[in-house]
Amino acid sequence: MKSRRWNALGQSDLVDSPFPSVVLVASLIFAAVVLVYVVLDRTPDWGLLGAAGFIEGLTLVLLVVAGIQVGGVDLSGGALVTFFGYLVAGLVLLPAGFVWSLAERSRGATAVLMVAGLAQAFVILRAMQVWPS
Amino acid sequence: MSSTSSGAGRVLVAVYGVFALAATARSLVQLFTKADEAPLAYALSALAAVVYIAATLGLAEVGPSPRRLAWAAVVFELVGVLTVGTLTVLDPELFPDATVWSAYGAGYGWLPLVLPFAGIAWLWHTRRSA
Repeated sequence: MKSRRWNALGQSDLVDSPFPSVVLVASLIFAAVVLVYVVLDRTPDWGLLGAAGFIEGLTLVLLVVAGIQVGGVDLSGGALVTFFGYLVAGLVLLPAGFVWSLAERSRGATAVLMVAGLAQAFVILRAMQVWPS
Repeated sequence: MSSTSSGAGRVLVAVYGVFALAATARSLVQLFTKADEAPLAYALSALAAVVYIAATLGLAEVGPSPRRLAWAAVVFELVGVLTVGTLTVLDPELFPDATVWSAYGAGYGWLPLVLPFAGIAWLWHTRRSA
């Protein structure tokens, strides 16, 4: 069993807070909104791009905070690499999805963003599972 | 022949891309942190990663003969997931650590089992110009 430790400030880890869940739910909502776009055959607009940018920002905050707090938790070796691997993947997925999606105007191309949103939610979930709590 | 990376093919390439990324990352972590624990399972993970990369590139129409590359990758993938799936169900001890294809990809929402069928269907569907 891995024991929960406290960081230098004596506070509970932000990674243990509801914050990652917010990122996860935001990603799922994004995927659901994209589904509506696909059904209505609407092409991606600035609203979708903004929403993805917002999720991207949240993921970056999560990565930075985790980088600061990682010294205070029992995470090493493969689990450490895995954890940050998931978060770095979380930074790549949405931009890559947009590049691939916006090169074409079709339902399929829009649906690519749904795949990116779901994959984003998945990597956040997996990162949370790897983080010792 | 119509494009394999257009329309619905675009989503298929995206899903294959996610699997290529995931399988490659997983394989690298396994090889660099615990290669000696389960060499067979980890070699298989690396092989699966190569297959997903090949399928992604082929379907995305990258390289000199992408359709041939895509066909080879998806057929190999189908054989791989069926073989490894069957072996792991019959003898779970064979691969001590999980691979994407263990138990027909049940650990990944059965997507590893569905993907090769989707890939083959799509390549068949787009074999002639629309």
